[in-house]
Amino acid sequence: MRNAIIAILLMLASVHAALASECVDSVEMTKPYRPVLSAYTAGLGSAHVCNTYLTPLHYSGWSATLNYERMQAMGFDPERWVMQLGLQAKFDDAHNPARNATMWGIEAELSWAMLRRHRINSCPRLQLYWGGFTAARGGTLLLMRNGNNPAQAIGAWSMGAEVAAAYNLKIKRLPVTLRYQARMPLAGVFFSPDYGELYYEIFLGNHSGLVHAAWPGNYFRLDNLATADLHLGNTVLRLGYACDVFSSKVSGIVSRNIAHRFVLGVAVEWLTIGRSRGIDPHARIISAMY
Amino acid sequence: MAMSSCHKVEEYHGGLYGNFDALWKIVDEHYCFFDEKNVDWNEARERYRAMLDPEGMETTEFFNVCGAMLSELQDGHVNLSSSFNTSYYRKWWSDYRQNFDLRLVQEYYLDFDYSQSGPLSYKVLNDSIGYMRVSTMASGITHGALDVSILEFADADCPVIVIDVRDNGGGMMTTTQTLVERFINTRTLVGYISHKTGPGHNEFSEPYPFYYDPATGHMRWLRPVVIVTNRSTFSAANSFVSIMRLLPNVRIVGDTTGGGSGMPFSSEIPCGWAVRMSACPVYDAEMNLTEHGVDPSPGCRVNLDPELALQGKDTILEFALALASDWRSWYKKQ
Repeated sequence: MRNAIIAILLMLASVHAALASECVDSVEMTKPYRPVLSAYTAGLGSAHVCNTYLTPLHYSGWSATLNYERMQAMGFDPERWVMQLGLQAKFDDAHNPARNATMWGIEAELSWAMLRRHRINSCPRLQLYWGGFTAARGGTLLLMRNGNNPAQAIGAWSMGAEVAAAYNLKIKRLPVTLRYQARMPLAGVFFSPDYGELYYEIFLGNHSGLVHAAWPGNYFRLDNLATADLHLGNTVLRLGYACDVFSSKVSGIVSRNIAHRFVLGVAVEWLTIGRSRGIDPHARIISAMY
Repeated sequence: MAMSSCHKVEEYHGGLYGNFDALWKIVDEHYCFFDEKNVDWNEARERYRAMLDPEGMETTEFFNVCGAMLSELQDGHVNLSSSFNTSYYRKWWSDYRQNFDLRLVQEYYLDFDYSQSGPLSYKVLNDSIGYMRVSTMASGITHGALDVSILEFADADCPVIVIDVRDNGGGMMTTTQTLVERFINTRTLVGYISHKTGPGHNEFSEPYPFYYDPATGHMRWLRPVVIVTNRSTFSAANSFVSIMRLLPNVRIVGDTTGGGSGMPFSSEIPCGWAVRMSACPVYDAEMNLTEHGVDPSPGCRVNLDPELALQGKDTILEFALALASDWRSWYKKQ
């Protein structure tokens, strides 16, 4: 009897130990590595700019951007949710039709998006994303030939929708990820002076009516981005094309900016691993896009 | 879809008629004094458009027709600028006596010996009256120059100063503000500003009151001031006079100022010529529009006598100095 009891206790202990061991394994299996995808790109192309506060004429020239993009699967549900952070600095240089006046556009934008990811069972190489984003944008348009109205400030905060698709394939032995992404603000606020209001009046303290609610009817923007990520060893070469369409109308002032740019840059995926924990060879790696 | 979502922007075309129509429409939608000037802009369009000759018109001839149409507005703030010419309405001063001779002042009153910093010249005259000339508002006046000049007047115990803004064609309102803030002791309502809210001739915002604060931490002059003006005192200098006129212990001596109380707005036409026009009316603190100028104080309208000028007498400045002397007597009695 006593031996039987000891045997049962040993058995229970071994079962408990086995369950505990399985439990630890399952915890580690459900905590995958989530590498950060960081991309640094530059864009160069054409710009078509019009701002009727500064001039009724359409200006055309070139547009350049520097971009930083960071994507990472979310810890709470890495298979389904992806975060995207974007930072863009833009410079436009455009001329009037007579080419005797130059307009410069200087702009920066910070955006953050939360995207739901869908993997298509019938097409495992394809991932679809949809979600929302918020963005803050600031800058100025400068037309220095104008005396009292040489600049138009740019300021906006918006929320909107974003969709994207990524497709992984191989061209010969080179892994390639194709992506198309589009985003459009749906609501927000943006800055504009009144029809003929000088900034001097704002400087004097008249701040009424400068901030306007934005919706696609008065603040339309559609940013398109198509990229091909060529996986060259540990580094990714990113080639792409961006087309940004912007048009706003408020207080009788129409502002328009249409830009086409070719994009070139590098992207890397990286992980932060604590020294004490080491690398778990059994942990899954869930990339934000690849 | 994206392109069709863009908001409509009027397309302006080149050629004589395209550029002419663009110029007419830009002014039609932004100029602010059609009623004050009693201008029938539609009639002007028809009259000057009929002068266009697409077959044999030189560029300079076309420019002159456009410039002549703009002159209908009788406004010194309206210009058409090309690479070869700038149209300019001059009658706001050319139809009147100049009433100013800089050499006369420099030679017979300042003895070619005065302090100068940028547009500011100053000297204590022999009879302990401070003289300050501000030649333009187009460049800033340094706080240092204003501090030193006012300190010099105070050290000489000047009871009154004379500020000469004759031939000051204006410039920046911020320079006007810098100057006015040396002559006030409390936050002061100095005027109202309005702007176009749409393309209609009568679409204006509610006039917005604006205030200037005393230049704290700097020398200020709160004793009497005599301001000397002529028809070429224009734009930001006109605003300076319109503001100072309503301060206590300030007299305006000379001729009516040139006006120019509409803050200009710039635009351009397809051929690349720049156009500038009055777009934002500025009123004084009593809601008077000073587009046609500021009159001298009652009894203080004086002209420069050319014969006496030949003898070294600036009759306007003489009047101002006499007024200052009277004030000095009053001040000493106090």
